[in-house]
Amino acid sequence: MARALSSMVLKGIAGIPAARSSRIVCGSFYDNGMRYSTTVPSDPDTHQDFRPTNKLESGGVSLKDVVEQDVKENPVMIYMKGVPEFPQCGFSSLAVRVLKQYDVPLSARNILEDPELKNAVKAFSTWPTFPQIFIKGEFIGGSDIILNLHQTGELKEKLKDVAASQERSE
Amino acid sequence: MGSRGATVVLSRANRIKAKLQSVLEATALEIDDVSYQHSGHAAVRETSEGETHFNVKIVSPKFEGQSLVKRHRLVYDALADELQSGLHALSIVAKSPQEAAAKK
Repeated sequence: MARALSSMVLKGIAGIPAARSSRIVCGSFYDNGMRYSTTVPSDPDTHQDFRPTNKLESGGVSLKDVVEQDVKENPVMIYMKGVPEFPQCGFSSLAVRVLKQYDVPLSARNILEDPELKNAVKAFSTWPTFPQIFIKGEFIGGSDIILNLHQTGELKEKLKDVAASQERSE
Repeated sequence: MGSRGATVVLSRANRIKAKLQSVLEATALEIDDVSYQHSGHAAVRETSEGETHFNVKIVSPKFEGQSLVKRHRLVYDALADELQSGLHALSIVAKSPQEAAAKK
């Protein structure tokens, strides 16, 4: 439902050709109370690429602060390509699949939406690739590592005191 | 490494191999270009000649006692130039010589 509606909105307001929007997942996602929107709310004048798709920068908060806050406030934080419901890269998809095996809340940011955020995260963790997973504020690694930790049982250990994800209705 | 007169351009796989061998004193190395597996990928469209995604299996004494994150960081640091010039992702299996022997 939401998808059809928002693609109508996209085409109606901004007249963006379908090819462009195919890279971007329509709609908004609610994940653990954080709202991730991939649609431009209004303003057809500004090209989508130049417009921040979230309120991060306009609040006067640096991206580094955002990243620090992300990893502090969310016990499991993943910076990935795409969103958990729709990953846009095999490695990101794998990481999400591994994490979903555990009953923990998963917070995610789509670094494809925001090149500045992508660079900020890379600088923060001094890690050049995505996905990047943080657990309880600690940088864990990429998809290889998270899979390995899952296989050895270490991931279970790390996540055992992370509160189970709350039941929520969408 | 070619001399000045003859410009020998090594493939990225070979460059990766050379760097990992010298920087990490690798005792075993396997490099596979798997870019074709990711060819529909958003970022790959920019560099269409492949050489963007590799599987790396490396055994090095430098990995001994190091966490996975540290080992991967060592590999990424050794390949920093490649990562700046179109290398997009690596699947890394990094073992110490003892671990490699144990597995076999």
